[in-house]
Amino acid sequence: MIDMNKFNKVLKRVIKPARYIGMEINSIVKDFNNVDVKFAFAFPDIYEVGMSHLGLHILYNLLNEKEYIACERVFAPWVDMEEEMKKEEIPLFTLENREPIGNFDFVGFTLQYEMSYTNIVNMLHLGNIPILSKDREEEDPFIIAGGPCAYNPEPIADIIDFFVIGEGEEVILEILEKYREFKKTSGTKLDFLKEVSQIQGVYVPRFYEIHYNKDNTIKEMVPILEDVPKTIEKRIVKDLDKVYFPEKLIIPYIETVHDRIPLEIFRGCTRGCRFCQAGIIYRPVREKSPEKLLDLAKKLVEETGYENISLTSLSSCDYSQLELLISQLIDRYEEDKIGVSLPSLRLDSFSIDILKEIEKVRKTGLTFAPEAGSQRLRDVINKGIDEKDLTTAVSYAFKEGWSTVKLYFMIGLPTETDEDVLGIKELGYKVKDMFFILPKEERRGNLKITLSTSCFVPKPFTPFQWVGQDSIDEFYRKINLLRNSIRDRKIVYNYHDPKLSYLEAVVARGDRKVGKAIIKAWEKGCKFDGWSEKFNYDLWIEAFEETGINGDFYALRERDMEEVLPWDFINIGVSKKYLIKEYEKAKIGKLTRDCRLGCTGCGINQSYLGGVC
Amino acid sequence: MLMLRVKFTKENYLQYISHLDLMRLFNRTFRRANIPIKYSEGYNPQPKFSIANPLSLGIESISEYMDIELEEEIPVEDFISSMNRELPKDIRIIEGKYIEGDKSLSSLVAWSYYEIKFVTNNLNNRQLDKLIEAWLKKENITIIRTRRKKGREIKKEQNIKPLIGNIVLNGQWTIDNGQLIELNCLLKAGDRGNLKPTDFINAMDKEFDLHIDPDTVDIKRIGLYLENNGEIQAPI
Repeated sequence: MIDMNKFNKVLKRVIKPARYIGMEINSIVKDFNNVDVKFAFAFPDIYEVGMSHLGLHILYNLLNEKEYIACERVFAPWVDMEEEMKKEEIPLFTLENREPIGNFDFVGFTLQYEMSYTNIVNMLHLGNIPILSKDREEEDPFIIAGGPCAYNPEPIADIIDFFVIGEGEEVILEILEKYREFKKTSGTKLDFLKEVSQIQGVYVPRFYEIHYNKDNTIKEMVPILEDVPKTIEKRIVKDLDKVYFPEKLIIPYIETVHDRIPLEIFRGCTRGCRFCQAGIIYRPVREKSPEKLLDLAKKLVEETGYENISLTSLSSCDYSQLELLISQLIDRYEEDKIGVSLPSLRLDSFSIDILKEIEKVRKTGLTFAPEAGSQRLRDVINKGIDEKDLTTAVSYAFKEGWSTVKLYFMIGLPTETDEDVLGIKELGYKVKDMFFILPKEERRGNLKITLSTSCFVPKPFTPFQWVGQDSIDEFYRKINLLRNSIRDRKIVYNYHDPKLSYLEAVVARGDRKVGKAIIKAWEKGCKFDGWSEKFNYDLWIEAFEETGINGDFYALRERDMEEVLPWDFINIGVSKKYLIKEYEKAKIGKLTRDCRLGCTGCGINQSYLGGVC
Repeated sequence: MLMLRVKFTKENYLQYISHLDLMRLFNRTFRRANIPIKYSEGYNPQPKFSIANPLSLGIESISEYMDIELEEEIPVEDFISSMNRELPKDIRIIEGKYIEGDKSLSSLVAWSYYEIKFVTNNLNNRQLDKLIEAWLKKENITIIRTRRKKGREIKKEQNIKPLIGNIVLNGQWTIDNGQLIELNCLLKAGDRGNLKPTDFINAMDKEFDLHIDPDTVDIKRIGLYLENNGEIQAPI
């Protein structure tokens, strides 16, 4: 345990000390010296962000249900706390037993966002754990990682001892049970790594060497041990009704980003938007049954007392029995003043009707994501909506009393022209017209339209994994073009920082060499890169220069279809052939149907994974 | 109207959750404990309860009060046991009583009693009780309050003498790095004048040049009193 006198002292000095105290209702504190396996679940961002992540709650409860495991949480301390901890020499500790993370058998990071990688380095450093895998000793913990960004593990392959590719709840117990047995032997850490490398879904980077071509592209990835798999197959849960889901959730004392019950209604998505990584890597779609969900909701309400249930998934309006589920939830919980919310909305009147039901009187803002401004470009990205969907939905919503609309777009999508960019403005103006076309007595509220653009970042395992990103200058040119074209007080325009998106693109499609730049950037003081007030672009560029990394090579370069990509050794069940086919269709603006309407042949249901969709 | 007034504690690490955090915590605890609390009407129904006097972050208390409006009468003991089963161990409901009258609890609050501990290494041979005695005989004890308004800092002088009820020195011990002082003080609280204990300590520190080490300051509220028709009384 850390020195409690020092701990008590620093709590008096920092903002939001409750981030560091733990002791929440439903948190689990075990006798640290009386368990076989100690696992620190590490989230590389602050408490409020990490506690909003459903995966944390699932794994935390799954592991702690085993008597022999203690799973404790650790988050990135905010900069003020970090400073105080350094001053008092308090190592990074978990919230449950306030135990330094170096005393655990495993520290498992969840990789939700590429720009959190400097925080991983920082957390290891604060925990007095060597940053590079090769520098760690027998008594240091295994540093492991999983989550969506683990699908391209290479940029942090020198830091992480092994990755878990796929859905963690399917694999983690297998690993920890193996470790429990292993501890009884006199084996070394290397022996254990050899053992876990045999588990499907586990990737141990040190057992593979990367050979490069003269032009810095990858020639091949070579296993250096005989019996390690050449390809890593992702692991998925087959039946979502039978998979573990916690019936209790830790209730934070302080307000978190998503401060409500997350009810996961399905995994995967059938829409096939071509820019979307989640839509591909989480295939196939697996739904929970309404009976199961109602049962879970009941238990979670009883155990938490939360006043809101959020139906989460990648596209909640696509749930096959949404109306039934929502009406049942409302019937049961309206009297107890428990609300139901939908985090994402589809652009159709069906969605508005659902929203009408759950919001009853109070009309909060409507949020839609057309993603692109013109029909041509929406077809390129296979966003299966047309302008009529939008105008019908919006005008219906205005009639029903809504007056605040947010529209999300991306700029820099493949094949984008200035006409497409200006289409964003035009869509905003059309939405405005839909409001004022209503007779005056039917308009309610004060119209406010927010147009928001992010910068497109090509991601691994998408049909756009080969494309070059727009340069930062080009992004700014398009942003200014759009900004200057909007002259209406009812319409507000916001945009994301192109510099951050550029770095995200470098890391997202980076190879092993990029890891050096990440560590260098951290040495120069980069952390919390995803927080605009902490983000320092210039330091990153210095780090690239000093480590000989050409950022443009990773972000801006259009790849050849034949090129070996850093993540090619991972099999996600969707074939590369399918991604190529989708990319070709994108170039000519040809749509691919929603696969609920008929199989589109992505390969997930034929692969060894045994997916059924 | 069915109004239950309860007294509760907020101790140890739970001193670090804010007033708003505490409101949220109670809201969820009422639901878990199946308390038949009344909700407000309107678009966004909220449970009807109010805490007497918000406690600043970083201050413990063994004497907090709140009024809770209920839909139906339940035995006070049942309320206490159901709530305490669901509350974190450092928040305990210790007593309760159904009350009459329609004046809100927060509007009646007048005085707050604190126990304060700190370490000073600059007392030298002075006697603190004598210093305090002399201090309280002054007509004016001025502090400078800083308020932020639209990003600007506004400094304002304030005479806090009328806001100090009494000061009792409980004890004084010599420890490694100076003198550990423990005192109690009665300070004005509520809508009709309010003195934060931290402002009080700063004023004392400044007056006696104590060099109080901020890391050593511990504050606990040990009493809260109402003023009703000119009469000072305990809330329950």
